[in-house]
Amino acid sequence: MTAGWIHAKPQAGPSGYGPQPAAEPRRPQPPGELSGPQPAAPRSGSRPGRSWRPAGRLGWLFIRGRRLTATVAVIAGSAAGLRIALAAGHWDTYGALQLPLVFEAVAAAAIAVSTASPFGEPERVTGRWLPWLRLAAALALTGLAAGLLAAAGAGAPLAGGALDVLRNLAGLTGLGLLGAAVLGGGLAWTGPVAYLLAGLYALYTQWHPPALHTPWLWPARPPHDLGGALCAGLVFLAGLAVATVYGARDPAGE
Amino acid sequence: MTAAPAQAARTRPAPAARRPGLAAARLLRLELRHNAMLWLLPVVLALFWLTYYRKIMALPPLWNPRASSLHTGTVAVFTAPVAGAAAWMGTREARRRVSDLAGVTAVPRWARQLATWAATTAWAIVGYLACLAAVYGVTARQAHWGGPLWWPAAVPAATLAAVAALGFAAGSLLPSRFTAPVIAIAAFFVVALSTQLIVGSHSYWQVSPIVAGPWDIGPDAGVATFYPYVPDLAMAQLMFLTGITVAALGLLAVAAGPGGWRRLSRPAAAVAVAGLVAAGTAAALAGTGTMDRSGMIAIPALHDAASDRPLRFTPVCSTTGVSRSAIPVCLNPAYASYLPATVAALQPVLSQLAGLPGAPARVSQAAAAYHQQAGNGVAIGLAGPHLAGTPPVYRLLLPVQLVGPAPAAQESAALLRISDGSALVASVTGAGPGATPAQDAVATAIMLAARAQPAPPPANAPPAGRAPGAGRSTARRGETISGSGAGPIGVSAVPALAPGSPGYAAAQRFAAQPATARHAWLMRHLPALRAGQITVAQLP
Repeated sequence: MTAGWIHAKPQAGPSGYGPQPAAEPRRPQPPGELSGPQPAAPRSGSRPGRSWRPAGRLGWLFIRGRRLTATVAVIAGSAAGLRIALAAGHWDTYGALQLPLVFEAVAAAAIAVSTASPFGEPERVTGRWLPWLRLAAALALTGLAAGLLAAAGAGAPLAGGALDVLRNLAGLTGLGLLGAAVLGGGLAWTGPVAYLLAGLYALYTQWHPPALHTPWLWPARPPHDLGGALCAGLVFLAGLAVATVYGARDPAGE
Repeated sequence: MTAAPAQAARTRPAPAARRPGLAAARLLRLELRHNAMLWLLPVVLALFWLTYYRKIMALPPLWNPRASSLHTGTVAVFTAPVAGAAAWMGTREARRRVSDLAGVTAVPRWARQLATWAATTAWAIVGYLACLAAVYGVTARQAHWGGPLWWPAAVPAATLAAVAALGFAAGSLLPSRFTAPVIAIAAFFVVALSTQLIVGSHSYWQVSPIVAGPWDIGPDAGVATFYPYVPDLAMAQLMFLTGITVAALGLLAVAAGPGGWRRLSRPAAAVAVAGLVAAGTAAALAGTGTMDRSGMIAIPALHDAASDRPLRFTPVCSTTGVSRSAIPVCLNPAYASYLPATVAALQPVLSQLAGLPGAPARVSQAAAAYHQQAGNGVAIGLAGPHLAGTPPVYRLLLPVQLVGPAPAAQESAALLRISDGSALVASVTGAGPGATPAQDAVATAIMLAARAQPAPPPANAPPAGRAPGAGRSTARRGETISGSGAGPIGVSAVPALAPGSPGYAAAQRFAAQPATARHAWLMRHLPALRAGQITVAQLP
């Protein structure tokens, strides 16, 4: 039996979609026992200092459920790819300008896709910590991606520099998070990918008039441009807010 | 006792006839209705409109540059969404955890996958055909001559099939939530940025489907108007893309494994290998290409010698109507829309020269000749001298025939007036390197009278190099490849005389003469002037 994103019983499958040990396997239910969550009996001799364990376990399950380790691997791979491309390629001006945006889009798409929940609607009613976990995950992944991509360009001719990376990545990630809320986590990549094409065209028009100057196409704006930074930041905050409050729109069955 | 079974056998309904074609059609219809590419089409079409459609429509109404731009643009815009959608569809069975369930159905796994791939490709091609219809429909209304180019139109369609096959194979073999985005962006990266590796016209990377012609010059308005479109590179690309598609689909059949057709494994493996061989052969063929003199890639193994013969056409001339000029100006009918502007730019000079001994009987547009230089350099210019034949015909190149962005109408007229106007005057008076001061003064006077005063040569001559993104070319425009003639476009063939010099004063004096007096003097003294027997002091 193949496992999937919404598999209540943790089970590894060949697809790589499923195996999230989200909950303890349920013990056999004796006849006459009430179903549903039961209040945990207070453990005798429990120490207040060990209260971090449930939170830690929740965090770990969230990391497993959202495949955040794989997301980190994809982000690290995109940073490594950028580094290799910068070091090995003899890019002309145009290629050098396009290159960082391509790898930023990979990282942003990975962050957006990581919002997909394997549990869908049932997860939303399980606890009040879920929004905070979503917020923390999105912020941490975006920060990690910005840091890794900027580090990948250190000492290399990275067009726009670290500031450009931060702005473009934030904007692309915001689009991805908004897409996750609208289309679902699985299809959240369509936003960053579509915007990548538009952004690359905006860069292209800097040499082939008429140039596109709208700050909503921020990749074509200079790194210190306030309008581009505000637009990218606005999109990021909107995406972050929507993803925090509502999470990804994961249809039943996927 | 034996009658009952016999009767049962008689009354048993006949087994339904197997109609595999109908079943396949039903399956395809289901896949078409539930395909992610359908929902991505509006996004892709909007992106195409934003990025390439307006750019293509701003190009001159000529078939080759628009077809080439459409080719490059649709491949660039469609590749990532199609690869992503195909990969997404490829992960579907794993995503919905129905692999086991679907594995026991009557339809083999590979057949199901083939239907999904076909539906994804079909929607992508529907979107592409919409773009094609828009561009070709508008161009058909605007173009004065020629017809649609179908070879460059076929390559994007084959590209979509190949990209969908690769994406679907990746999604099916490596189902993960990250497969679709990574495949989409990786496909775009490979297709779009692999062109950085193209060096000269002998590059294997020209087989990349985004390449519509010599990458050094891009969509060029001087191509496929005097010579037929050479489809060699498109043939190699189609072979490459077909090979990739077959290999990817064959790999899917091989990987279908226990859930699929076991009998299919060996033939599928053979088909996959054949596809790879075809793709490799096509890349090798692309590496043998060279840029011919008509500006297209010729691949010896695929080349048809008939495409080397010039096209036959009836030129459009300025002999009647509002475009009538003192000396007829004739253009290739593909450039008919440029005739009024060309005549308007040259008429002041032509009216000064008409009837003079040695003046051209006609000004005729010539084919641009292309010459591959070291690295990514390309020289584009006129092959042979400007003035040739008896009676003499002045051969010109329109600025739009040269590499680089097509100049605006006013810029084009200014370039013509300076370059070809001065070259016409120099060809009649003999002005230029080695000429006498009187020849240069008379030429300057004619240019002053025609209000086409030669500008001093710019410090950095003509548009050299290419805009970023168009390659790393050092193409030079307007260069005369062989023979004598005007130099780079935008530079006057008449030497600029220093204001205040005796020659410039004589030129101003001669230009101030009435047109009839100036013409009469030239009719009498032009042979002597060309022979170097007239001095500056002898000018009226």
